[in-house]
Amino acid sequence: MPNDDEVGENIRMIVDSARSVVPPDGDLSRIRSLRFEARGFDPSIYRTMAEMGWLALRLPDEAGGLGLGMREYCALAEVLGAGLTPEPLISAALACRLLGCSVPKNVLAGERVVLAAWQDGPSDLQWRRGVTLDEGTATGGKQFVPMAAGAGAFAIPTQDGVAVVDAAAAGLELDLRATQDGGQAGQLRLSATAIELTVRPADVDAALDEATLATAAYLLGLAGRAFEITREYLVVRKQFGHPIGSFQALQHRAADMKIQIELTRASVAAAAAAFDGEADPRMRPVRASQAKARASETALLVAREAIQMHGAIGYTDECDIGLYVRKAMTVANTFGTAACHRRRYASLTSEPAAI
Amino acid sequence: MPEPAFEDMNPLTDEDFRMAVRRFVEENYPDIPRYSQRRLHWHENRPWYEILARRGWLCPNWPPEYGGMGLSATKQLIMVEEYERYGCARVNDIGIVMLGPLLIRYGTQAQKDFFLPRIISGEHVWAQGYSEPNAGSDLAAVRTEAVLAGEEWVINGQKTWTTLGSDANWIFILARTDKTVKKQAGISFLLVPMTNKGVSVRTIRNLELHDEFCEVFFDDVRIARDHLVGDVNSGWTMAKALLGHERVFIGSPRLSSNALVRLRLMAQRMDVWDDPAFRDRYTRLQLDLADLAALFETYVEKLRRGEPIGPDVTILKIFQSELYQRISELMLEIAGETAGYVEPLDGDPRLHAAATYLMARPTTIFGGSSEIMRNVLCKSVLGLPSA
Ligand SMILES: Cc1cc2nc3c(=O)[nH]c(=O)nc-3n(C[C@H](O)[C@H](O)[C@H](O)COP(=O)(O)OP(=O)(O)OC[C@H]3O[C@@H](n4cnc5c(N)ncnc54)[C@H](O)[C@@H]3O)c2cc1C
Repeated sequence: MPNDDEVGENIRMIVDSARSVVPPDGDLSRIRSLRFEARGFDPSIYRTMAEMGWLALRLPDEAGGLGLGMREYCALAEVLGAGLTPEPLISAALACRLLGCSVPKNVLAGERVVLAAWQDGPSDLQWRRGVTLDEGTATGGKQFVPMAAGAGAFAIPTQDGVAVVDAAAAGLELDLRATQDGGQAGQLRLSATAIELTVRPADVDAALDEATLATAAYLLGLAGRAFEITREYLVVRKQFGHPIGSFQALQHRAADMKIQIELTRASVAAAAAAFDGEADPRMRPVRASQAKARASETALLVAREAIQMHGAIGYTDECDIGLYVRKAMTVANTFGTAACHRRRYASLTSEPAAI
Repeated sequence: MPEPAFEDMNPLTDEDFRMAVRRFVEENYPDIPRYSQRRLHWHENRPWYEILARRGWLCPNWPPEYGGMGLSATKQLIMVEEYERYGCARVNDIGIVMLGPLLIRYGTQAQKDFFLPRIISGEHVWAQGYSEPNAGSDLAAVRTEAVLAGEEWVINGQKTWTTLGSDANWIFILARTDKTVKKQAGISFLLVPMTNKGVSVRTIRNLELHDEFCEVFFDDVRIARDHLVGDVNSGWTMAKALLGHERVFIGSPRLSSNALVRLRLMAQRMDVWDDPAFRDRYTRLQLDLADLAALFETYVEKLRRGEPIGPDVTILKIFQSELYQRISELMLEIAGETAGYVEPLDGDPRLHAAATYLMARPTTIFGGSSEIMRNVLCKSVLGLPSA
């Protein structure tokens, strides 16, 4: 394991490079302009991200990856969440992780967008039953692929390996549902769809745990920035001749939000460290669930409070805080709802052998 | 339009009344959306408004002598329940719920005779012009100014967050008429035709991406001197009385009961209805709703008897709006990834977690925010000292 200094340096570098995608001044005009547009994200920004190696962040050197840890990945995801970045990095990085050493060069380069289509049904992490493979074809369904309109292909985990299918392949139907953040969720139907590439069974659960944790970090970034915007508003907005932030009713709730954000930060950090360290690998799903359960709730708490503390202006589309609310609504329940992760945490920790 | 003959529904048993409403709705609801997750605009809901008016059912809360139903609290609730059950659109009801009761209490005979029938006929569609960019919670800080020039008031300023302002042709406003006194003592209540020269409206897109509220600008707008309600500089007292009505209205279990039905449908759709952990949370909300309804009835009864609504109405307003939000939050939770959908599931407008969640947000902001309501409760009901 790299030492803490190295990790710290990696994090500084990656957060720094993230600034090329997420404007440090918090400007959201790019995010606004992409909403409800064809893809919902910008392919050239996606390529920039790929060029910086982010898709292959978790892949080892020999697979063309950066070989970085979850601490680096979470630091990056947090910055992306703070900027409401719509490019589907987590889902694309998951696809690369599933394909491992077999991931094609043009995919790593961001020329072809391959997204993970792993989910069988709503709210949880089930992936085993949705699609089956038979003689070079795939049949079944997958749900909720974020930003699926911009995908060139999908990486589909099945019990018999990870299958890549082209988005334009015969027998593939993609049904897109617009989402509150201005993107879409794709429902995939496959009937004897030709497979381009099959990769031997990967450790899908481990890959999903990493994506889950990265999503928790994204939500942390989102909540942190939404909170900061709200805190600033409490300082500048005046009613009754005083800044509204001077009213104790709001002060205490701002304090409560801060408490939840710091708990989320600690939980995400502890989970990332558990992934990177020598700790029992069976602790990883436990920690991922712990972090995701809290991050989902924190993001929604901050979203609710942010609107309330902004008053009517928080209920307009013109006000940026609404973009955070809508993103939180869209992302909080992905990669397992808070309830799903609480259940998983309970079942993993109730068996003494699992600890 | 001929005046419908007044028919006293109070002697009916509750069950007979419910069936009468149900039948009426089923037979008469026009070809407009049901279970809409947004407020319909006037051009959309007007047919329903007119049908209710023709039946004499538009203003259940008004006394019969002004064209209302003088309906008991219980029956008003039944009526609302039946409308909700069928998914009837909410009409442009600001004239019915807010201005009508105010005029009945404070208006001159001439004002009652002129305005009340025009609310019922739909000739006048009202908007509420209280809030301004810098006068939200601190409503008494309104700066829109009215100056008497001969037989006319000349109005300058801006209102904002005016719900369905683009549908309205009349707006009641709070305007500053004396700058030299304590802020509450220099405000008057004026009735302004929005068709007058100098009134302009800009719609604002809300978080659900609908053009529901507006900004309204007044630039040397002239209105007749007698479009003042009550005395000059007595607007604040009346506005507060009106806010009491608005708070009873917002305190109606209508929104929460509507949301609870949606929660149940969503729970069935997402297969969590039989999950005991879910059912316990659902039942808790259901009991909250039942108790809310009991509390609500006591306020509607007060209104019907013409008793003043005291500061304790804050209890009703806080509890209903926050219950509505809690229901919507559980719905968002169980909707999984579909919580983020812009369109409802299966094309059923009731299966729409995001819309319910978003629609529930502003109920703790308008009509007095939950924070302001709690401040009032602490000060005026509990008698706690201020800082
Ligand atoms: C959907 C919607 C429809 C509306 N329709 C209308 C309409 O038709 N006509 C109309 O006139 N107005 C309307 N309003 C405006 C509404 O009345 C105001 O939003 C409300 O009065 C709050 O004012 P504000 O938005 O300026 O928030 P602010 O007053 O700026 O409040 C911001 C935050 O500070 C809190 N706060 C303020 N003062 C205190 C305090 N002393 N102690 C503790 N907390 C405090 C508030 O509770 C809130 O959380 C509407 C609003 C909404 C959201």
